Amino acid sequence: MAFRRRSIIPGFGLTFGFTVLYLCLIVLIPLSATVFETSKLGWHQFWHIVTAPRAVASYELSFGASLAGALINFIFGILVAWVLVRYAFPARRILDSLVDLPFALPTAVAGIALTTIYAQNGWLGRPLASLGVHVAFTRLGIVVALTFIGLPFVVRTVQPILQDLDRELEEAAASLGAGRWQTFARVLFPAILPAALTGVALAFARGVGEYGSVIFIAGNMPMRTEITPLLIVTKLEQFDYAGATAIAVVMLVVSFVLLLGINLLQKWSSAPSG
Amino acid sequence: MASRHRQGGEALSITVANVTKRFGTFTALDDASLEISAGRLVALLGPSGSGKTTLLRIIAGLEFADSGSIRFDGQDISDRAVGERRVGFVFQHYALFRHMTVFENVAFGLRVRPRGQRPTRQQIRDRVGDLLDLIQLRSQAGRYPSQLSGGQRQRVALARALAVEPRVLLLDEPFGALDAKVRLELRRWLRQLHDDVGVTSVFVTHDQEEALEVADQVAVMNQGRIVQVGTPDEVYDHPASSFVYNFLGNVNLFHGRIDNGTAHIHQDATGDLIFARPHALEITRRPQGPNHFRATTKHINAAGPLVKVEVITEWGAPVHVEMPQERFRDLALNKGEEVFIVPRDLAVFAATHEDLSFERCVT
Repeated sequence: MAFRRRSIIPGFGLTFGFTVLYLCLIVLIPLSATVFETSKLGWHQFWHIVTAPRAVASYELSFGASLAGALINFIFGILVAWVLVRYAFPARRILDSLVDLPFALPTAVAGIALTTIYAQNGWLGRPLASLGVHVAFTRLGIVVALTFIGLPFVVRTVQPILQDLDRELEEAAASLGAGRWQTFARVLFPAILPAALTGVALAFARGVGEYGSVIFIAGNMPMRTEITPLLIVTKLEQFDYAGATAIAVVMLVVSFVLLLGINLLQKWSSAPSG
Repeated sequence: MASRHRQGGEALSITVANVTKRFGTFTALDDASLEISAGRLVALLGPSGSGKTTLLRIIAGLEFADSGSIRFDGQDISDRAVGERRVGFVFQHYALFRHMTVFENVAFGLRVRPRGQRPTRQQIRDRVGDLLDLIQLRSQAGRYPSQLSGGQRQRVALARALAVEPRVLLLDEPFGALDAKVRLELRRWLRQLHDDVGVTSVFVTHDQEEALEVADQVAVMNQGRIVQVGTPDEVYDHPASSFVYNFLGNVNLFHGRIDNGTAHIHQDATGDLIFARPHALEITRRPQGPNHFRATTKHINAAGPLVKVEVITEWGAPVHVEMPQERFRDLALNKGEEVFIVPRDLAVFAATHEDLSFERCVT
């Protein structure tokens, strides 16, 4: 297969060259700089830093809480998209634009707002505390913050798919004797699953990198509620540049592997229609 | 083979009684009534917007009538949901499940049955296999709908509908989205299939040729009403109104007056409506008898079994004439020649009686 085929769309050479250059400048060079910086450490030293108990605890928390938030959004994001697409009700447009708020809000604002509400004396924090549930300054609080910022991703990826779904598919299922639940589980859900997984991947990636909204509500106790991005910042503040980049490299590799995995999952789930 | 699929005397009759349906201010169905005998293949024929698809969807239970009722074998099922009516519905755009193979699509109706009535895996495999044989697609069982041609998808949609052993088979413009040749093959195949399976079937079409060729009975619809019901011969030879006559084939329209069985054609648009099918007009070189008019040939299309000639009458109206190839060769017609048109068969609808009086004038 030739790299370049005859095409009526002009400018392939120029635009391709620019794309490669741009991606190098914006993405690859900064990323390789982290790897380069890390290489100043010896292998042994590197391993020591990245497997330190405090670092490992932060990975578990960062990836675990991001995954939890993304999965919560998987379920409730589909629900929100469903309601927005399928039902006509007053204030639907307002509700619809509300979904984008976590996108638009500065993350620090979200963090302060969530902390205020969920703190021991906050609107939600007080009643929850009397039930024995503590949100602010716990791991649960981190999941809440990551769920908040991840919501738009699933809603916005599923919404157009639901909108385009042919009504006839549901009618066909009903005429064949399927109940509402069977129609959803066997006909609608498989159709929106690939889009929903894309949304989950995006929400997860966002969650792993999230800093602003989490540090307020997390409490940032080492080993318990310290997320990896915060650990990196802490190391930087101690002028431990090599240590910070070592942990950054771990984040980079794990994120990349997880994204690859989600992409494969997505390919597998959407393969039949191709 | 055929007997295995027969619905075992389950064919039932359908009664549509005074059904009216409005969408907002638009009246889709206006007091429509129709009687369909058990085991028949009936066409709902009409132009777009005539209410034929709405009627089909109401029979299926995908839509509910504002007033009137639907009865299967005399039993009122107007309020039952589509899933309880045991109808097979074939959608115009197939509505196949894209993420399922051909096999899974056909098996769907069996798999979603309540636990107690659900066939075993083996029974499902056998039943689906039989149906795939019936639609001649067994070799494609593992493929996905996107890998099939339009005609194959339509057959899968049919098999999927038949899998649930429907008491009634309903098809919405079943061949509408297919190209001409596949259409022709598939409609003959549908006729054959209906004879094999024997289930009462109703299909919607706007193609009069399709309706006349395939159906036992044709219900012609216009503006939400059923304007005529009959066998293809009946509606073609004895149209109840000028609309039906006009809709069932190509026509030339003249205006005029009838006197003792003789049509006097007016050169302006007044008087009764006089129709002539293109094949009922004859072109001659010399005037024949008292009934003829003068015309000039304008276009000649000699491709196909019939030669189509467009002539301009002496009063300037275009008229279409069809004749067999032999006749065309005998005449040796050329463009721009002066000829005589002799009407052999005219249909007259008196303007004063709102299409009610129809008489045939054979000259």
